[in-house]
Amino acid sequence: MRRNLSLLFRLLRIQIRSQLQYPASFVMEVLSQAMILGFFFAAFALTLSQFGDIGGWTLGEVALLWGLAEFSFGMMDMVFSGFDYDAFGPLVIKGTFDQLLLRPVNITLQVLGSRFVLRRLGKIIEGLIIFIIGLSLSNVDWTLGRILYIPVLILCQVLFFGSLFIFGATTTFWTKERLEILNVFTYGGSEIMSYPMHIFPRAIRLLFSFVVPAIFLSYFPMIYILDKPNPLNMPVFTSFLAPFIAISMFWLSLKFWRFGIKNYQSTGS
Amino acid sequence: MNAFFATIHTSFRRQLTYRAANLSGLFTNLMFGFFRAAVLIALYQEQTSVNGLSIRGAITYAGLTQSLIGVMSFFHWYDLMHTVYDGRVGADLLRPINYFSYWLGIDIGRAFGSLIIRGLPLFLVFSFFYNIILPESLIQWSLFALSIVFALLISFSWRFLVNLASFWTPNALGIGRFAFGLSWIFSGFYFPLALFPDWLANFCRLTPFGASLYFPIQVFIGNIRGAELLQGFLIQIFWIVTLVIFGHIILAQGVKKLVIQGG
Repeated sequence: MRRNLSLLFRLLRIQIRSQLQYPASFVMEVLSQAMILGFFFAAFALTLSQFGDIGGWTLGEVALLWGLAEFSFGMMDMVFSGFDYDAFGPLVIKGTFDQLLLRPVNITLQVLGSRFVLRRLGKIIEGLIIFIIGLSLSNVDWTLGRILYIPVLILCQVLFFGSLFIFGATTTFWTKERLEILNVFTYGGSEIMSYPMHIFPRAIRLLFSFVVPAIFLSYFPMIYILDKPNPLNMPVFTSFLAPFIAISMFWLSLKFWRFGIKNYQSTGS
Repeated sequence: MNAFFATIHTSFRRQLTYRAANLSGLFTNLMFGFFRAAVLIALYQEQTSVNGLSIRGAITYAGLTQSLIGVMSFFHWYDLMHTVYDGRVGADLLRPINYFSYWLGIDIGRAFGSLIIRGLPLFLVFSFFYNIILPESLIQWSLFALSIVFALLISFSWRFLVNLASFWTPNALGIGRFAFGLSWIFSGFYFPLALFPDWLANFCRLTPFGASLYFPIQVFIGNIRGAELLQGFLIQIFWIVTLVIFGHIILAQGVKKLVIQGG
């Protein structure tokens, strides 16, 4: 375990060092990414100002949802870069994955250490700024429980998105290419989680409750934090299912990943 | 000219062969279309029209932007860059066809293939779910078709120009990400520009990005007429001319700089 961890840190250090070779261009890229991504929120804010509220939620309240989802997704996208199916798919197609399997080191660890996209800091910074905007614009009655639930939620969302990446990466063992459809759940999931989810049609809501249970990780918990009415008439405990769901999803994804590796057949290229 | 059409034809057929990828992309864009439409409906609530954009127009906007992503390939196109880095560019520059026209041919074929296999079916399915707006006359359909052709020329010339950065630097991906980020921002892709404050909407309309996404959609849903319509087409023509000329100038400079890697 200790050997594995030190190896992982070593792999990550190499990644980080190589990406910081040109510090000025790195900083530029992080900032420009933060700005470009942030514009989506700015566009939403400008649009919302023509209307006032969305589904009974103010700009500040939506900003809390939005910032949280962006921040967590950015964190996940950095830590789980190796499982990003956009990068992992080609690994399988080209047969590079076979090389990893031959090495006498835990395969999950190698994939985790194979990529660490530091420029995702742009998204993390953007999410943080939006979250802070949300804090300043909304009136939250901060209790100890609510304050403590925020970091727990972030961790849950990171695990949740991470499990989607692991699921996605695993499917490429069979499909041999990254399927764009996965984006519906990853990037689409994070977009859906940025809004009060009762605004979506029933079919979409059911999809994101029972197939990909995103609703338990942002909308229901935020109802508790903001003390909002729940138009879906869900029992109060649904606000607190996030840790349970995130951990189960993550466990399932790792099971699936191991199953995929067991049944992996090389492309032979 | 024959070589140009042959390039279009081959590229078109290549695009059609990726059925699974196209289908999966179609479904993805459709879902995002539903997401965006739901957000717009929630924003409009009881209002039927805001800033001259009706709720039906806004919903059509959501479906149309998603139908056009694949066609315009607006936000992700590094094909030319890849050929520079793997050395194929050497052979491409020797072809008996102008380098710009060669890539334009490839892009027209790709766009047309994407329109048939991805864009049109998507919009058709989308229209089963929502009460959308369609052009009302043959003239309006023709104007829309023309604006789409112009839009593709702008979009292609811009992407060509961005990809040329790879002639100078061994890692132009960062430049690409930034440049395509600008397209995201100013094209009116996220939310209809009509819902923005006037100063911002007007600025976006003047950029090549607004001209290649927002304008054709406006023509489609019919909330642009007369002088404004003419102005829109003039802006499109201005950008085509500017970007094509600029692309050729930069290309001429770039060929002198180009170092072909490996092979």
